[in-house]
Amino acid sequence: MTAAALPAILSAFLASFVEVVEALTVVLAVVSLRGWRPAIAGTFASLATLAAIVLALGPLLSRVPLGALQVTIGVLLLLFGLGWLRKASLRAAGVIALHDEDAILASTTAELGAEVASRKTSQDWIAGMTAYNAVLLEGLEVVFIVIAVGAGRGLLLPAGIGAAGACVVVLTLGAILQKPLSRVPQNTLKFIVGVMLSTFGVFWTGEGLGVTWPGGDLALLAIGLLFLGAAVATSVAARRMATV
Amino acid sequence: MIRDVVLELYSMFAGDSRMSLSALAVVGVSAVVALGVSPMAGGAFLLVGSLVVLVTSILTAARGKN
Repeated sequence: MTAAALPAILSAFLASFVEVVEALTVVLAVVSLRGWRPAIAGTFASLATLAAIVLALGPLLSRVPLGALQVTIGVLLLLFGLGWLRKASLRAAGVIALHDEDAILASTTAELGAEVASRKTSQDWIAGMTAYNAVLLEGLEVVFIVIAVGAGRGLLLPAGIGAAGACVVVLTLGAILQKPLSRVPQNTLKFIVGVMLSTFGVFWTGEGLGVTWPGGDLALLAIGLLFLGAAVATSVAARRMATV
Repeated sequence: MIRDVVLELYSMFAGDSRMSLSALAVVGVSAVVALGVSPMAGGAFLLVGSLVVLVTSILTAARGKN
């Protein structure tokens, strides 16, 4: 494994960590209402669906020419990364509310409880589908991130290892604590991941367009520092604007 | 459920449609510059343009909140 794999592992790990924390909160809401059985069934069914998506998409990726793949994935990464960075900056500035896992657990539990109570039959089915839905939606983002940070440079395996590592850490903590990981500094992680994904997005889109970045892979660091500096400075300015 | 998946995919890439369209425009102009003028100029435009899109989008949202 080369040094170039490290950013792929790290960005896949951090991004997946945030997504799995969000999915875990919904799964715990299901556990609190209907127990572990529907939660585990829904989660595993969803993981099987995600695995099928990866298996279906994987062979297709190898048929796309590298330049076209880099541009396509680079543009998608840029859109995705800028979106995360924008939202994290606005949250850091206090313009929009921070993500609160405890509040989400309470609201999800209340919503699911009302739905389960309104249907006397197949209550476990509704609970299981809720877990399935949450894991599938958050998992789609994880699958995209793994493909996006891995495919452009043949780093799918390291990116997959990063994502799997995040799943293991979050699920182990969740099983031990049996409550949402609300102390995880989610916005800081999203900020970092937003910087990394935007950086990869610009770098790969550029490479796909024929740009030879000065310094090769070291340009990633320079681009990342520019995004970080711009986002931090703008977040500070946005906080001032919002409080005036 | 398919509706949820489509909405999730949409929000992944176009949560803020104005910013996403601006970023796509930057990529488009960068491609024209890279292929028609020089790749380095295209790369520089892509980087600076993406930063401008980000900064503008954050400040516009903050101004809207105020």
